Amino acid sequence: MSISKLLVANRGEIAARVLRTAKARGLATAVLRHPSEQEGPAHLIADEVVSIDGPTPVAAYLDIPQIVEVAKRIGADAVHPGYGFLSENAGFVAALEQAGVTFVGPTSEVIDLMGDKVRARGFVEERGFPVAPSAIEDDDPATFVERSRAVGYPLLIKPSAGGGGKGMRVVREDSALESEIETARREGERYFGDGRLFVERYIERPRHIEVQVMGDGQGNVVHFWERECSIQRRFQKIIEETPSPALSAQQRLDICETAAGIARAVNYRGAGTVEFIYAQDGSFYFLEMNTRLQVEHPVTEMVTGFDLVAEQLRIAAGEGPSAAQDDIAQSGHSIELRICAEDATEDFRPAIGDILLLDEPQGTGVRVDSGILGGGKVTTDFDPMLSKLIVHAPDRMQAIARARQAVQNYVILGVTTNTGYLDAILAHPDFASGDISTGFLAEQADTLTAPGEDISDLLIAATALSDDRLVGEVMQIPEMHRKMGGWRN
Amino acid sequence: MRRIFQIDGDETECWLSHDGNRFVLNTPDGAMPCRLDPTGAPGGHVLRAGGRVQELRLAVGPEATFVHMNGRTHAIGRVDPAERLAGRDGAAAADRIVAPMPGVVVSVNAKPGDHVKEGQPLLVIESMKLETSLAAPRDGVVAEIPFAAGDSFGLKATLAQLAAEED
Repeated sequence: MSISKLLVANRGEIAARVLRTAKARGLATAVLRHPSEQEGPAHLIADEVVSIDGPTPVAAYLDIPQIVEVAKRIGADAVHPGYGFLSENAGFVAALEQAGVTFVGPTSEVIDLMGDKVRARGFVEERGFPVAPSAIEDDDPATFVERSRAVGYPLLIKPSAGGGGKGMRVVREDSALESEIETARREGERYFGDGRLFVERYIERPRHIEVQVMGDGQGNVVHFWERECSIQRRFQKIIEETPSPALSAQQRLDICETAAGIARAVNYRGAGTVEFIYAQDGSFYFLEMNTRLQVEHPVTEMVTGFDLVAEQLRIAAGEGPSAAQDDIAQSGHSIELRICAEDATEDFRPAIGDILLLDEPQGTGVRVDSGILGGGKVTTDFDPMLSKLIVHAPDRMQAIARARQAVQNYVILGVTTNTGYLDAILAHPDFASGDISTGFLAEQADTLTAPGEDISDLLIAATALSDDRLVGEVMQIPEMHRKMGGWRN
Repeated sequence: MRRIFQIDGDETECWLSHDGNRFVLNTPDGAMPCRLDPTGAPGGHVLRAGGRVQELRLAVGPEATFVHMNGRTHAIGRVDPAERLAGRDGAAAADRIVAPMPGVVVSVNAKPGDHVKEGQPLLVIESMKLETSLAAPRDGVVAEIPFAAGDSFGLKATLAQLAAEED
């Protein structure tokens, strides 16, 4: 079952990140590219870049037969799916299996179980792990609205087949319930091809805390401690950190052991993440399990010193994890910032543009997992996340300071990004004190997007003086006229 | 030379001149001597203006200049007043809903001839996997909604047009 050639069925920063570890382990590597797609760091790292076709770039990355065919054609004996795309697609896993190609991840059965939020929740509840009060449409569609009401407000509507916050709706008043159910159903149908829903009690000011687990598929599961991911916009994380500032040592052990227990219950293989909703009173409920590497896995790597992709590849090759639970400790503090092409002052509207200048921060304790190159183009073909900035420092306050310095020095010119917004979050006193919840960004929206000092004059001066045409015209005006000036000629 | 600069939607008209020794930026707030010198880093400059010294990074795009200064990035639109007079802008912005992003129309909730109130949803679009409801920018009568549910549209496409207001 050893692996000699790895195809990364993904793109952007995660493809580059997986390829780096694969190459360091001596594997031959390949990555995909759609013809309309910009060249990224992954294409520079991979030994081989294989072109894939599709009506849209995203469709190409979701094309199971084509990607399996690529894997066979180039002689890849394993496929790493990254996150998103086909990473949690049981059909993809089955197709690879049939083709004799190793999938770097769990079995299709586990993906199926955890991919269905309702079944996953039932499974976890049956085995005695904590879940929030809920109503499931499938149990009895005719009484779904009534049973939703009985869960009590505020409640959260979610697509059964969902993930990543898509199609989720918070309902606070009974009058909005039915219309929000219909909206959520439409979104579920469009994003996941499945309009089935469930609702659960919405925990006020919850925190999102998740645990990294790794299993060998033989019943052995270790955890790599928690990540706090409460800083979310539109239910999507943009800042993650570890350790969580909310947990006591005992709570940390409890939540991590619960996660490992859930993974053991499914005889988990590979890297996975068990997500919890953590209430202000310290109680926590199972939210979902993601059967793949997470976007935010680097903060775990920074504090534990383990390369999680290397662990994934070891397990896929049948070598088993490299560490026992006692070997895995948290050292220092790590924060990740998701750098996105979006306008935080315009409701996070995705931005497009040419990357005219790119200068990424570097230095002690600073890591950048980037999916872009200078001279590239940011389009709406894919997710707006361009890269991730990860810092590591001895403690949380130093990590915040380091993250602020690094994000302030992250120069991306030509497309609007959220770097200034991320810095404003890090500078907020409630973030510093750790008093955050998943509603933090919405509650503090005005503070976080407040305009800074008015420096328009300076910006205009820089713009005017760097405009060669303007400067050329000014210098061509005869001396006399120049001295006379011309304001309001 | 006159130029119009746009920052966060606000326009400022300025005049850049040179008095033989130095550049002077004349803004509505007054005249400001200024100079810009490269530092050697990509896009790096030192700006001396209005008694301040600032290090910055900048890149000049076709329509806007991007400036990274004090840890923040700013986009400054450049408009040549002569080109504006030639009429590239036109049409009252308050009469139109312009697509903020390329996307697909999910539903249309009004039709030509409808009297609508400011804030009333006219259509729902989906861009980047997110549904957004677009509302009437003012009270008025719908003149045109050129797209139907399921249609896709490009950036800055006019998605709805209100009839011009009668004075």
